[in-house]
Amino acid sequence: MIVVITESVPPRLRGRLAIWLLEVRAGVYLGKVSKRVREMLWLQITKLAEDGNVVMAWSTNNESGFEFQTHGQNRRKPVDFDGLRLVAFTPMEDRKTS
Amino acid sequence: MSFVPLKPTAIKERVAMVFLEYGQLDVIDGAFVLVDNSGVRTHIPVGSVACLMLEPGTRVSHAAVKLAAAVGTLLIWVGEAGVRLYAAGQPGGARSDRLLHQARMVLDPELRLKVVRKMYDLRFGEPAPQRRSIDQLRGIEGARVKSMYAGLAQQYGLVWRGRRYNPADWEAGDRANQCLSAANACLYGITEAAILAAGYAPAIGFLHSGKPLSFVYDIADIIKFETVVPVAFRIAAKKGLNPPERKVRQGCRDIFREQKVLQRLIPLIEEVLSAGGVDLPAPAPEAAPPAIPGPTIIGDIGHRSG
Repeated sequence: MIVVITESVPPRLRGRLAIWLLEVRAGVYLGKVSKRVREMLWLQITKLAEDGNVVMAWSTNNESGFEFQTHGQNRRKPVDFDGLRLVAFTPMEDRKTS
Repeated sequence: MSFVPLKPTAIKERVAMVFLEYGQLDVIDGAFVLVDNSGVRTHIPVGSVACLMLEPGTRVSHAAVKLAAAVGTLLIWVGEAGVRLYAAGQPGGARSDRLLHQARMVLDPELRLKVVRKMYDLRFGEPAPQRRSIDQLRGIEGARVKSMYAGLAQQYGLVWRGRRYNPADWEAGDRANQCLSAANACLYGITEAAILAAGYAPAIGFLHSGKPLSFVYDIADIIKFETVVPVAFRIAAKKGLNPPERKVRQGCRDIFREQKVLQRLIPLIEEVLSAGGVDLPAPAPEAAPPAIPGPTIIGDIGHRSG
C-alpha cells in the first residue's frame, strides 16, 4: 500500500501520479506498487514538484508498519524519537519573531 | 453533534514505548501533543503506544492524563537513563476474577511452586530440577543468571564485576550496568503495561515479593536474556556512544519488534498463571451480573473502557 499526498504541486505532476495511482481526493493518491515502482514515482515527484511539497508513505515491516519520506518545505517535519518517527508541527514564522 | 467514546486497543497492536523530554504534554483539538518552548507541536499517537516514558523536563496537563487513561496507555515518569520513578494513567485492578486468581496462586504453596517451576522452564528452556523448594530454585536461577552475565560480558569483551547499580548514585555504576538499567527500564515498562492490560496486579509476585512491581520482575525475567540483556551488552561494548541510553532504547525497540514481545507478553502471563491447573474463579452462584452491561471492548480484558 502506498499513499502520496501533494500540496501546491504543478498539474503536470498531479496528472503524472494519476497514471499509476488512484486520486481519491484532490492531491491524495492511493496504490499498491513494488519498491522499484515506488522509487520511480519518487524520482518523478522530486523532479516535477517544483515549489510544492509531497509526502509519500508506504507499508513496511517495521514497528510502525509504515515508512514515509517528504519532499519540499512544510510546517510538518519528521522527527526521530529513539527510532520511532513522528511529526513535529512548527508554529507560523511571524509568531516566532514576536 | 454526536458523541463517540474512546476505547483502548490491544497491547499487541501497539508500538512499544515513546520517550518524551522537554515540553508540555497537552491535548489540542482532542489530540495528545508535546509542545516545546519554541511552540513546535509534536503529535504523539498515544493510543497506539503501550507506555509513554516521561523524562525530566516534561509537564503534563490534566487533559493529557485523562486522554491517556481513556485509551489505556500507561504513563511512566522516569529519571536518569529512563529508570522508572512513578507510573499512572492505566489503573489496574479492573478485573476482580483475574486478581483473585493471581492471589490464589501465590497464597497456595503448592500452586505457587508449580508457577515458579513453569517460570523456570520458560526461562531456561528446560524443566526445573525435581524436589526443590522455591528458595532452592531461586538459588539455582541466581547462579545461572550470574554465569549468563559473565558469558555475555566475555562475548562482547567487557570487564564484568557483577550486576551492580545504585539508583541514588547513577554515575557510580559502570557502563555495562548503566546500559542494563536503561534496557531493563524499557522491558519493565511494557511488561507492566501488559500485566495491567491483562487484568492482573503488578505487585503480586511469585519469585519476587514485597515490591510494587514484583510480578513485573517475575515476567520480565523470563524473557530478559533473550531480549534486552544482549542489546545492553552490545551497546555497552561500543565506544564513543555517550550517553548510550538513546542507542539502548533504539536497540530495545528493534528487539521487541523482532521477537514480537508485545504480542507474546499477555499469552506468556496467561501461560505462567495456568501452570497451577486451576481455572479462573467463577462468580458466586447468587452474584448478580452488572445492571448495565459494559460496552464491548476491542482492547485487552483488563482495560477499563469508559
